[in-house]
Amino acid sequence: MKKILTNRDFILFSIILIGLIAVGFANPLFVTPKSISDVLTDTSILIILALSQMIVILIRAIDLSVASNLALSGMLISLLSTVHPELPVYYFIALSCVIGTVLGVLNGVSIAILKVPFIVTTLGTLSIYRGLIYFVSDGKQVYSNEFSEDFLSLIHYKFLSLSFLFWLAVAAFIVIYVLLNHTRFGRNLYSLGGNPDAAKYIGISENKYIILAYSISGFFAGLCGYLWVARYSVASTQIAIGFELTVISACVVGGISVMGGVGTVLGCVLGALLIGLIRNALPAVDISQFWQLAISGAIILMAIIINTKTEQRKEKTIMVEN
Amino acid sequence: MKLELKNISKNFHGVKALQNVDFQLKDNSIHALLGENGAGKSTLVKILCGVYQPDSGTINLNNQQQTISNPAISLSLGISAIHQESVMFDELTVTENIFIGNHLTKSNGLIDWGLMESKTKKLLQDLEANIEPNEKIKDLSIAQRHIVQISRSLIHDAEIVIMDEPTASLSQKEINELYTIIRNLKKQNKSIIFISHKLDEVMEVCDDFTVLRDGELIKFDKISNTNKDQLITYMAGREVNQIFPKNNVTIENEIFQVKDLYKKTQFKNISFNLRKKEILGFYGLVGSGRTEIMKSIFGITKLDEGEIIFKDQKISIAKPSDAIDQGIVYLSEERQQLGMTGLMSVKDNINMAILDRNSQFYILDNLKEIKNATAMQEKLNIKVSYWSQLTQSLSGGNQQKTVIAKWLSTKPEVLILDEPTKGIDVRSKSAVHEFMGELVEEGMSIIMISSELPEILGMCDRVVVMYKGLIKDILDVKNASSEQIVKLASGES
Repeated sequence: MKKILTNRDFILFSIILIGLIAVGFANPLFVTPKSISDVLTDTSILIILALSQMIVILIRAIDLSVASNLALSGMLISLLSTVHPELPVYYFIALSCVIGTVLGVLNGVSIAILKVPFIVTTLGTLSIYRGLIYFVSDGKQVYSNEFSEDFLSLIHYKFLSLSFLFWLAVAAFIVIYVLLNHTRFGRNLYSLGGNPDAAKYIGISENKYIILAYSISGFFAGLCGYLWVARYSVASTQIAIGFELTVISACVVGGISVMGGVGTVLGCVLGALLIGLIRNALPAVDISQFWQLAISGAIILMAIIINTKTEQRKEKTIMVEN
Repeated sequence: MKLELKNISKNFHGVKALQNVDFQLKDNSIHALLGENGAGKSTLVKILCGVYQPDSGTINLNNQQQTISNPAISLSLGISAIHQESVMFDELTVTENIFIGNHLTKSNGLIDWGLMESKTKKLLQDLEANIEPNEKIKDLSIAQRHIVQISRSLIHDAEIVIMDEPTASLSQKEINELYTIIRNLKKQNKSIIFISHKLDEVMEVCDDFTVLRDGELIKFDKISNTNKDQLITYMAGREVNQIFPKNNVTIENEIFQVKDLYKKTQFKNISFNLRKKEILGFYGLVGSGRTEIMKSIFGITKLDEGEIIFKDQKISIAKPSDAIDQGIVYLSEERQQLGMTGLMSVKDNINMAILDRNSQFYILDNLKEIKNATAMQEKLNIKVSYWSQLTQSLSGGNQQKTVIAKWLSTKPEVLILDEPTKGIDVRSKSAVHEFMGELVEEGMSIIMISSELPEILGMCDRVVVMYKGLIKDILDVKNASSEQIVKLASGES
């Protein structure tokens, strides 16, 4: 019992539940199945990106370029769809993932092979990828009427009255859960982040894992590129701007340690859900728009403080008191 | 012959770390690899582990020539190293640490957690170790971590186990248990390379020895053909007569006293006093609460109860700067992590703790800083080429002197040294001891935590013996026997 109560995933889950109940009292309309399903749909992209960001954070790095990667992949396939609307939607999804992966590999190579620190590399590519969007789009937008029907319709598909986006997030959760807990690759990521020197001694190649982690992050950013564009039916130079910070805060709230090697997949998803809940609930309880950003920031900070407090390493017991 | 290295040489940027070194490890034997710090032992080990590649020379394993180009190959050849530094994964479980890099998988490629756990359980039972497979490494004691590392090498089916100072932070009881495990390994046809600075234990457990000095092979022979003094001579290149050059000083009045210090789950009823010009030893097992007491006195952690009296006045220390202002300083055993900033210059490191004394209206006086640094450099004989030299570019011994210089700059009256000679070679050790003697002569009072009994007996006037957070006794070293101290420290009397 004590173990459950000090489990940070459980604490996070309780915070979400309490938050939901509190909002429900203020605005009962917010806790209807329909509205909760909307929140889940709205949070799905954040969940997918937080899960892939988690892989990078586990090895003591960070990928600041995800939102720019997402936007560039999304813009490129949008432009292609205006020229070739006849292509099937799966083609665009696959292409978006490929573009994202390539952009991710570039990050990985720069960090692992060229030895540019990860923060500098991804800060650089954040600007470069965003800049390239202006270049390829000429600064123009792609509007909803310019996409093919096929391109936009997949995203509205529903199963058990939950959206395609939500089921995709569930799939991402399962895939990454298995990857991190039940494959050698995943366990080696934990060991590399937990103690890089020791990992070297057991023959884990750091460079390989850096490149792979950034590739995975890129792959999911690319996937979300399609999802984002299809969901909002618009591709512009401004899409998902600053979203990388939301993704990283979801990870941190979820208990993924930026010191590497610590964090659970479930925690990561809960972190994303909490942030999704805050973003959706504040407008629902009539809080002025001017306050929303500050309040959501404060709530995130509070969650992190609670997290670190429960995490604080207990001192070893030396003496048994009678 | 299990393993034979011939003519191994390795250079780092022109520095000869190893020169034409030969090394022979016999089948199921325990082989001591000896030498002072910087003699080339760890370079040799890293070559065997595949971390470094030799510039020249050959490696023969079971009479077959091998190239060990990376750590994975070394493991697959059956070479396994148990490192002095923690190479464990603190946040992962015992099971996972044992199987790391070698996870067992089911036929579908996914990890077989159940099988790994049951194998771990069996292995730990065979070693008679009281460790649960799903405990996290961060919750284990240092001795238990060693056992996990040994289990790891058994899982890897290692034929050669390299142990780098495995007993450095263990208690006598734990050491004896480790010896038993080592001898069991030998019975199971393993060969062991044993690195240690403690010559008594080398004489006790090893069959052969190899001494390196300045990257060269000095001597290879059977342990039965040598003795401790001879080994010291091989290692130091000269006779070391006086390991404990303690001078006779007249001890004066009491200067420092603590009464009934108490910290929940850490220690209780801690009362002792320290007299001017005295060296007071703190002996006990690692984890008996010695460091925790000193950290509380220095204000790093909070005391729950207790009084600290300095020069007949009750003082309160809430944070380290309070202690420093009073003239009490604490040198941590983790010199590198807690003692210095490698990327700052030697001068800045030396002056780090006295910025306020060196400045006027919050502006630093560079001249004062250089003056202090020069004085310290002369006093401690720090080998530094220029003042802006980065501390990390100094040798280990000089880094340590820099840390000491930093604290001496604060002009302390009470100096608390936590394992000041842990893991350093014979020559540097006697330099530290000599220096302690000088400080006491100048009027300082010293508290020294040490896990080495000869050091306590050689250097201290009195010794406080601790066991599980309690003071068992405070003895006058002149009248105490080593058996008596060991017994007290292991809680047997």
